[in-house]
Amino acid sequence: MTKTKEKSLYSVWFVVPSLAIFLIFFLWPVISSLYYSMTVWNFETATFNGLENYKLFFTDPAMSSSVPHTLLYAFATSGLKVVLAFFIAIFLTSSIKTKGFIRSAVFFPNLVSTMAVGLTFAYMMHPTKGLLNVAIQGLGGKPVDFLGDPKVALWGIILSDVWKGLSISVVIYIAGIQSIDQSYYEAASIDGANWWQQITNVTLPLVAPAQNSIIILSLIGGLRTFDLIWAMTGGGPGFATDVLASVIYKQYAAGFYGLSTAGNVVMLILISIIAFPLQHFLNKREEAIR
Amino acid sequence: MNRKLMSLTLAIALAVTMLMGVSAVAEAKPFEGVTITFWGGQAELNPGTLAVIEAAEEALGLHVETEINPGGSEGDNLLKTRIASNDLPDLMVYNSGSKLYDLNPSRCFLDIKDWDLVSRVDDAFLSSVTIDGAVYGLPQSSTQAGAIIYYKPDYEELGLEVPHTWAEFVDNCAKLKEAGKTPIELTAGDTWTTQVLFLGDYYNINAEYPTFAEEYTEGKAKYADIPVATRSWTKYEDLVDYLNADKSAATVQDGNFAIGTGEATHWFILTQQLPLITAEADDQSQIGVFGVPGDDPDNHGLTVWEPMSFYVWKDSQNIDAVKAFLDFYFSEEMLNLYFETYGANGPSCIKGYTLPETVCDAVRVDMQQYFDAGKTCPALEYVSPIKGTACEQLTTAVAMGQMSGADAAKDYDEDCKKSAVQLGYNWE
Amino acid sequence: MEGKKRRNQIIGDIVGLILTAVIFLIPFYFMFVQSIKSKKEANRLSIAWPTELHFENYLEVIKHGNYQLVTAFKNSAILTVFTVLGLIVTGAMAGYVIQRRKGKLMTTIQSVIMLGLMIPASILPTIRMLQSMGIYKTMFSMVMIEIALQTPFTIMLYRGFMSSIPVDLEEAASIDGCNRWQIFQKVIFPLLKPIQATIIILVGVQTFNDFTNPLYFLPGAANTTVQLTLYNYKGQLGNNYNLLFADIIIITVPMLILFLFFNKRIVAGMVAGAVKG
Repeated sequence: MTKTKEKSLYSVWFVVPSLAIFLIFFLWPVISSLYYSMTVWNFETATFNGLENYKLFFTDPAMSSSVPHTLLYAFATSGLKVVLAFFIAIFLTSSIKTKGFIRSAVFFPNLVSTMAVGLTFAYMMHPTKGLLNVAIQGLGGKPVDFLGDPKVALWGIILSDVWKGLSISVVIYIAGIQSIDQSYYEAASIDGANWWQQITNVTLPLVAPAQNSIIILSLIGGLRTFDLIWAMTGGGPGFATDVLASVIYKQYAAGFYGLSTAGNVVMLILISIIAFPLQHFLNKREEAIR
Repeated sequence: MNRKLMSLTLAIALAVTMLMGVSAVAEAKPFEGVTITFWGGQAELNPGTLAVIEAAEEALGLHVETEINPGGSEGDNLLKTRIASNDLPDLMVYNSGSKLYDLNPSRCFLDIKDWDLVSRVDDAFLSSVTIDGAVYGLPQSSTQAGAIIYYKPDYEELGLEVPHTWAEFVDNCAKLKEAGKTPIELTAGDTWTTQVLFLGDYYNINAEYPTFAEEYTEGKAKYADIPVATRSWTKYEDLVDYLNADKSAATVQDGNFAIGTGEATHWFILTQQLPLITAEADDQSQIGVFGVPGDDPDNHGLTVWEPMSFYVWKDSQNIDAVKAFLDFYFSEEMLNLYFETYGANGPSCIKGYTLPETVCDAVRVDMQQYFDAGKTCPALEYVSPIKGTACEQLTTAVAMGQMSGADAAKDYDEDCKKSAVQLGYNWE
Repeated sequence: MEGKKRRNQIIGDIVGLILTAVIFLIPFYFMFVQSIKSKKEANRLSIAWPTELHFENYLEVIKHGNYQLVTAFKNSAILTVFTVLGLIVTGAMAGYVIQRRKGKLMTTIQSVIMLGLMIPASILPTIRMLQSMGIYKTMFSMVMIEIALQTPFTIMLYRGFMSSIPVDLEEAASIDGCNRWQIFQKVIFPLLKPIQATIIILVGVQTFNDFTNPLYFLPGAANTTVQLTLYNYKGQLGNNYNLLFADIIIITVPMLILFLFFNKRIVAGMVAGAVKG
C-alpha cells in the first residue's frame, strides 16, 4: 500500500486518546520522578544531592543484595513458566476429553487476587501445620521450612508465582499451537516422525512467536514483582527474599522518597538492559527459524 | 366518620410526638447529623473502641465513620501519602514518639495544648506527643511495655523464680527445655515482633550508660562499640536453642495461643497482647509479665511504650464534634467501658484514674510494681528520633541464627546513619 | 493401533485430572474449607472438613463495618467496568492504526507506550499532578490511571490481533465510500470480537484485583475497594482466618462468573493476538 493511502485510511488521531492518557497519567509523573531521585525529598523540600542516593543504594548490603534476588526470581519464574506451560499446552491441545475442565482449572488461580494467593500459600507452607509439610511428613520426609529457611524461601515464593501465573502462558501457547497449520504435522507424519519428533521439529519452532511473548512478559513481570513477595514474606526472613521492588517500597514507607525513587530508576535501567537485548535476540531467532 | 376522626387523632398524636422528639433530640444531641471520619488500624478499632463509639453516637448524635488503616509499612506509606496531599480524616490514631516526629506534625495535626483534656494526661505521655511546645495527641489506650510475658503454671510446676538477670533467665530456659517444654515463643511470621527483645532491653542500656540516647542521636554512640548496647543484639544468640518449631511462620495470633495455653513459656512481646493472651487462657491469673533482665539483679526494670495517640486533622471541618467526641471518650465512665470491654495493655496514663478490677493481674500487679518502684524507662523511640528502618529484618536474621549479633549491631549502626541523613543530622 | 491410541487417551485423561486436582484444586478447597470453620479451628490451618459448619461466617463478612463490603463491591465494579470500556475503545483504536501504519512516527509512539510494560509507576508525582488538576480522589482519575497502566498490554494484544485481519476489507469499504471513522466502527470493530473477550477477562481481573493503586489514588472510607476489605481480618493483633477466607471467596466469585462467561473465547482472541509480533 502506498504512503498516501495509508494516511487516508488510518488517521493518527486514533492513537491520540490512548497516547494522551498514557502520557499524562503515567509517563509524565515517571519523568518528573527522575529529578527527585537525585534529592533528599520529604514532600516539602527537595534538596539536590547528586548521585548520593544511587551510591547509598549500592553500598547498603540490605539494598544491593536485592539485585541478585530479583534476577534469580525473574529468570526462575520465567524459565519455569516457559517450560511447564509448553507441556501443559501440548497436553491441552491433544485429543483428550477433559481438556475443557483442566484448562479452566489451570486458569482459576489467575482469578484470585495476589494477596489472597500469597496468604493461602504462606499458610500451606507453614513449617509445622502447613499442608505441604503434613504431606511431606506423611511420606516419611523431614519438614521443610519453605518460607523461613533463607536458602529456600525465595523458591517457595517462586513456586507460588508459577502456580498463579502459569495460566496466561498456557493460554498464549495454546493460541500459538492452534494457529499452526495441520499440513505441517501431516507432512512430518508422512516422513515417519513420531509424536516426540513432531513436537520438537514442528510445534516448537512454529510456536516461537508465542514463546517469545511469554518470555518477555514473564521476565519483565518477574523483574517488577512485588505483591506476592510482600504478601508471603515481606522480604524476610531477614533480607533473604528482598527484591528491588520490595526494597523500593520499604524506602518509600520509611519516608526516604529520594532514595526510593533512585531505586525505581535502578530497576528501570536493569529491566532495560535485560529486556531490550533479549527482545532483539528473540526477534532474530524468530526470523532465522522462518 | 369515626374512622376519620380516629386517624386524625392519631395523626395529631404522631405529629406531637415527633415534634417533641425532635426538640428533645435537639437539646440532648448537639451533633445530630454530623459525621466525623475516624481512621485507625485493626488494633485500635477493637471492641472497646467500638463500644465507646456506639455510646458516643447515642449520646452526642454524631456519626463516626471508621476507616481501616492496613498498618505496618503499608499504613505508614499511605499516611505519608495522604499527609502530602493534605487529605486526612477528622480523627486518626498513630504512634507517639519518634514516628510522630517523622511526620513533621505541625503541617497536618491540630495543636491541642489549650484543651482541658491535656491537663488530665501524665507528663510521660505528653512528652511523647509534644514537639516544639505544641501538643498533638491524646492517649488512645494505656501504656504498655516491651517485656517478657510468661505462662505462670510452668514456673510453679518446676519451682522456678522470676529471673532478675539475663543469666538466670537463660538458666530457666534450660530447665524448661529439660522438662520437655518450649521455653521461648518466637513469632517471626509477624516480623515486627522480633524487635521486642532488642527494644525492650533499652532499660538495661540506659541503666549502665545513661547518656546513650543523646550520644546515639548525635551519631557518637554506636551499638557495635558500646558493650552493653551490643548485648541487646547478642542476647538473641543465647535463645537459639530454646525456640518453638514454627518460629519462622508463627504469627502474633499463634503467640497469643501458645502463651495463653502454655504451649510455650516465654514470649518477648509488647504487653498490648495481654488482653488477647488472657482471653486464650483458662484464667487470667495464669499470665504474668517481667521486664527484659540485665546483668544487675538489683536493677531489673521495664522499658515502657506510650500508647498510640488520637490526632486531630488541623483542616478538619468538624473540630468541635471531634473535641466533643474526645471529651466523651475520656470521661471516667467511658474509660471504664473501654477497659472493661477490651482490657488494658498496662497502667493508664490518665492522672488519678484507676483501672477497673476486671483488668488482668499481669497489668495491675506485675507491671504496676515496676511503676511503683520507679523502675521504668521510656523506650528509645521516645527519647531519640532516629530508628533504623531495617531493624525488624536484622532482629529476625539474628533470632533465626542467620547472622551474629555483633554483625547485626554493625549493620544496624549503618542503617541508622541512613535515617539520620534523611532527618538532617550530620553523622560524618 | 486405534485401541492403543484410545488407551493412551484415557490414561492421559486420568493423569491430567489427578494432577490438576492436586495442584490446582486443593488450594481452592483449602480456602473454602477454612471459610466455613470456627475461628479456633481455622487457626489450625488444616484441610480437614470442619467439625461444625459455620456458613454464617459469610453473613458476618458481608455485614462487617456497616455493610462495608457492599460499598466496596460497588466501587470495584464501577472502576472495573469503566476501565474495561475505556481500554476497549482507546486500545482498539490505537492498536488498529499502530499496526496498519508504518513509518517513524508509529514506531516511536509504539516504543514509548511499550515503556509502560517495563517502568513501575511513580506514586507521589502522580498524586501531585492529580491534585494540581483538581481530580485527586475521584473515580475519574482512578479510572484514567488504571487505563494508563494497562494501555501497553492492551495495545500489544490488539496490534497482534489486527495483523490477522486482511487489509482488503478496509480498502473495499473505502471504495464503498466509508470514511475513516466508519471503516473502524463498522468494519474493524465488529471483527475484533474474539480479542475483546480476552481483554475483558484479563483487564477486568487485573483491575478488580488491584490492591495498591486504589490504596494510594482513591483513599477514604467511601472509596474502599474489595481488596482492602481483607485487612479487616488480618493485622498486627492477629488474623481471623475463617472470616479472611470467607472474604477471599466472596470477592473472587465475580471474577469466576466473568471467567465462566468468557471462558471459551479467551484462547480465540489470543490466536494470532499475542502470538504474532
